[in-house]
Amino acid sequence: MSVDLQNDGDSKPIISPDAATVSLPATGIATTTTPERKEPPPEKEADTRRRSWIVLSFWLITVFIGLPVWWNTTTIYRANLPLTQMTDWADGKACEPVFPLRIALDVGAMPEQEAQNLLRLTQHALDDLNDFSGHHLRLQLAQAPATEAAAASVRDDSNVALTIRLAPGDAAHAASSSLHPHLPILDVQYPPNSLPTANSPSSGLATYIATQLGSTFAEEQNIISYLLETSSITPEHRPKGISQEVVESVSKRMTRQLKYSQTYHLTFSLFTNGPIPSSWDIEAAIDEYMKPVLDMLRPIHNFTIDTQVQLYASPGVQSQVLGKEDLSSFINAAEWPLSPSIGGAPTVNFIIYIGNQTIGVPSEASPAETSQSWMIPQWGSVYLLAPPPAEAAHVSSETLKQPILTFTSHLLTLLGTPQSGSLPLRLSTLARIRSADLLLRASSSLGSLARLTLALPSISIPSNVADGVVKTIQHLELACASLGGGASSQSLEHARVAEREAERAFFEKSMVGQLYFPDEHKIAVYLPLLGPIGVPLVMGLLNEIKAWKSRRSQKLKAA
Amino acid sequence: MQLSFTSLIPLLPFFLSPVSASTAPAAADYHEQLNLKPLPQNSLLASFNFRSNTSLPEFEAHNFRFFPRSLGQILQHAGTRELHLRFSLGRWDAETWGARPWDGTKEGGTGVELWAWLDAESDAEADQKWLTLTNALSGLFCASLNFIDSTRTTRPVMSFRPEGDHPNTTMDNMHLLHGVLPREVVCTENLTPFLKLLPCKGKAGVSSLLDGHKLFDASWQSMAIDVKPVCPVGEECVLQIEQTIDMVLDIERSKRPRDNPIPRPIPGHELKCNTTKPYHAEDTCFPTDSLNAQEWTLDQIFGKHMLGNCPLTDPKTPPVCIQAPHSRDVFTSMDVQELKESGNENQRCYLLPSNEEEFHLALPFMPRDGDRPKTDADEFVQPATPLLYAERSLTGHGQEHGGVQAILTNPSPDSEVEFVYMESLPWFMRIYLHTLKARISHRTGSDAGQTLRDDDEVIQEIYYRPFLDRKRGTQLEIRMKIPPGSTVFMSYDFEKTILRYTEYPPDANRGFDVAAAVITILPSNSTAAAAAAVGKVARTSNLRTTGMLLNLPTPDFSMPYNVIIFTSTCIALAFGGLYNILVRRFVGRDEGPEVSLVKLRRRLQEAVQKLKGRIQEKLGVASKEAKKLEAKSD
Repeated sequence: MSVDLQNDGDSKPIISPDAATVSLPATGIATTTTPERKEPPPEKEADTRRRSWIVLSFWLITVFIGLPVWWNTTTIYRANLPLTQMTDWADGKACEPVFPLRIALDVGAMPEQEAQNLLRLTQHALDDLNDFSGHHLRLQLAQAPATEAAAASVRDDSNVALTIRLAPGDAAHAASSSLHPHLPILDVQYPPNSLPTANSPSSGLATYIATQLGSTFAEEQNIISYLLETSSITPEHRPKGISQEVVESVSKRMTRQLKYSQTYHLTFSLFTNGPIPSSWDIEAAIDEYMKPVLDMLRPIHNFTIDTQVQLYASPGVQSQVLGKEDLSSFINAAEWPLSPSIGGAPTVNFIIYIGNQTIGVPSEASPAETSQSWMIPQWGSVYLLAPPPAEAAHVSSETLKQPILTFTSHLLTLLGTPQSGSLPLRLSTLARIRSADLLLRASSSLGSLARLTLALPSISIPSNVADGVVKTIQHLELACASLGGGASSQSLEHARVAEREAERAFFEKSMVGQLYFPDEHKIAVYLPLLGPIGVPLVMGLLNEIKAWKSRRSQKLKAA
Repeated sequence: MQLSFTSLIPLLPFFLSPVSASTAPAAADYHEQLNLKPLPQNSLLASFNFRSNTSLPEFEAHNFRFFPRSLGQILQHAGTRELHLRFSLGRWDAETWGARPWDGTKEGGTGVELWAWLDAESDAEADQKWLTLTNALSGLFCASLNFIDSTRTTRPVMSFRPEGDHPNTTMDNMHLLHGVLPREVVCTENLTPFLKLLPCKGKAGVSSLLDGHKLFDASWQSMAIDVKPVCPVGEECVLQIEQTIDMVLDIERSKRPRDNPIPRPIPGHELKCNTTKPYHAEDTCFPTDSLNAQEWTLDQIFGKHMLGNCPLTDPKTPPVCIQAPHSRDVFTSMDVQELKESGNENQRCYLLPSNEEEFHLALPFMPRDGDRPKTDADEFVQPATPLLYAERSLTGHGQEHGGVQAILTNPSPDSEVEFVYMESLPWFMRIYLHTLKARISHRTGSDAGQTLRDDDEVIQEIYYRPFLDRKRGTQLEIRMKIPPGSTVFMSYDFEKTILRYTEYPPDANRGFDVAAAVITILPSNSTAAAAAAVGKVARTSNLRTTGMLLNLPTPDFSMPYNVIIFTSTCIALAFGGLYNILVRRFVGRDEGPEVSLVKLRRRLQEAVQKLKGRIQEKLGVASKEAKKLEAKSD
């Protein structure tokens, strides 16, 4: 700097004590008169250029080193998510939820030609009846005669949802049908004369079979339409609307049922008001009355069973006759040890309460409920048992028969099993409903995650979320493909994995933690630094530009 | 006291076969007992013991009767073979109260202590199961057990042994993990789930006496849960859950009425003064030391009545016992049988009728003067001397250097005591093991109480697992042997760590709790030999020191913003100066452009001048007009 000063000053130093003392009186009287101002000596070309370089280099450092460093150290890691694919799934564009159900027609000893004819006509009648494209019934002729053993084996590869077994019956009677109680078989007895001729456009038998099939699968259709209706799928991908009453009845049932899980803990509890009875024969009762149903449900759910006896348990309601509103507060959640789930599987509670209380509500609303029990949606069921005679401290297996049977039917309702049809049909329907439900759930979780990502630009997205999304989509595709293939259990498995992965991705812990970081904090952090540094930098740049402009105009003038 | 006392001492003592709690067979499905023991200085030790069994096949099949399902489910889920959980509060005053109940095996350090044997193939699997277990128990007992993370978990080597009977096949895969939460405040919300685990739920039997207000007002209390498999000889193996509550009640304090619990000064005329003092006068009082024994009843000190028997227990087992000299008067309600044991002179038990009537017990006031004056020996049984006294305190100076000193005294005049001293210290106490020193002072002999000398004989064996920053704490186990009548001063130094900003708890200036040291007294050779002769393993006994409150250097928590602003100012100063020197051109004062401040001032002055001029002008015009008007009117 000192070099500069000497160079600039031609004969005397610019800043000197003399100059200062001389100018002091000048400022003293500056209030009234402007002092004489001298023009500074002209600056050297080299100095001006050097100053420009300095300003430029500062700016270059700021822009090319400072900014990238700042950017790299403060950006939030956001893994790439396949956003369009995710929204496609949520909107239902990626997968057409189609459930083509294969139905085998076992014609017995009927000639091939006639059988084909019947098949064609029935399929025709079916297509006329059914206006819901998502749920499609496709008839085929059975390969082998549908003996019961064959039907059982067919159920294993589950390509065929139902077999219709035709048998000629009495000519005098009209056609009749019945569902096999333990196998997915519909037995149809038809009068021999009702078989269609080769070129007749319609047949009574064909229409009859079609109507029977329609009514058998009506409930499943309703539930699936309801699921699609309430899902995140955009209206153009939805099936045609279903009637308001159906929506109401289905939604009532859907709100009762438990969220899908692979495993459920079933807890049977005996609560008594006093010290007795303190033991019960629950294991034998469950083995006898509930195990068969649980075994049938095994492909869809696993169950663990535990039982407990709790004495001195006072209910939440003390009144002798329980009104409708008392039922919901009967469970004394504060005192009864009904701890919730452990290890990710939900608990279904079945409570037998031994006491003198009775239910005072006529149960015409749901005739399935006896006057001694009621179901608590998504939670379990309660059965009031009269106190055992005398001082009996033990509850026998026979006494438990009715409660356990009631619990079994409540369990099926809680799991969302359809109400009509034979048990095997209800269970295969349950598998299809559950896989559709899981598929839609996973898709809508993906959609929510995509919306969240777009809505909160400051949220970080770790790479395992991206992994989860990729896995979800992969399994969703597999599930969607196997929906069409008809292999229900496999599509259920894929949908289950997809749903789990989607939930895990959405509820990633590290994402939730950084949800909120207010901008005020950023200002508080940046302002003290950027203010004092930014102002000289910007002012320097502005001065430089000004000087450059004036130099140019002078040059122009000179030229 | 409107009770009708029928059984006065010494009224028909029933001499039955011994029915002591310790010898009760494990086969009974449910057992409960309350042991009362008056202690010196108007204290009362109340030990509640509840024990339920379930056969192992029933447990495996998830059928729970007396064993609580909520706990059983957790144990099965986490693969737990044996579980010990402790909630403790206060300090056991060993000098006054003597040996601890249950030999100290049913108590924990202040706060919450948990140790369990988990069934796992590898250490990693054990850690995973431990995490599951702590999280599940935390929900069940409303305690912050989920904060037992890797820094608070140790794997003790010498201190703990499984208490249950485990088959040899499972022993190989059993992993012991131990965790302590010294900061946890044990409170009513921990008692409620504890009571819920009992079959009678505090509605009948001795558990109906338990009340959070009195329990947590006690001078010392410890709640314990032990789950272990027990295989009685020649019988089926059972899984046993034993729940214990021990508390030392200050009788005077407990008798305070519930609706008026605030202590108030005693009125002057009720004060008991020491009249021998020279300054004793009408308005001066020196309170007497020798407090007369108080009278008390069961419902007074527990605040509740005992509601009969729990019907699930064996009707032959007395639910309430009191350990007091036979000369102590005890009154009970009607129909209660008093059982006196032939072996134990000082124990009396009470067998209740099998109805749900309230049970009353009262210990009346015994006059110290008059015809038959009573003494302390009539009030309580002199407590037994403990095997070892232990205290531990912090030493050191400043914000960096700390030290710990443990004083361990063997009061026995003739037998030495061998024990394992275990510390689990937080990682921010960086201990220097080379400073570990044990000095001994003999109470007898030529150098009685005079010298402290280093003794290499005292420390027999050391197991040390050093800390890892933010990963695990220090684990230090020392096996020691103290000769009779000696005191050992054991000390070591440590350095305090400065923590990260976010690692401080909300009230950082309170300090950091350090868990109590666990002392396991090993059975002496003679008792071990005696036990081995009967085919048993001699029981160890435990005691715990108090916890410590460690002060770490605590920052000012507005620090980050201060630092940001301070460094920013420094940078701005340096940068601004440098940049201006580089970029500005230096010229003479009269040569440069006008300084903006001066310019501003001049402009302001000019504006003021202008304004003045204008106002004057206006005023001038106004006066002219006024003059004109005047002229017109004229």
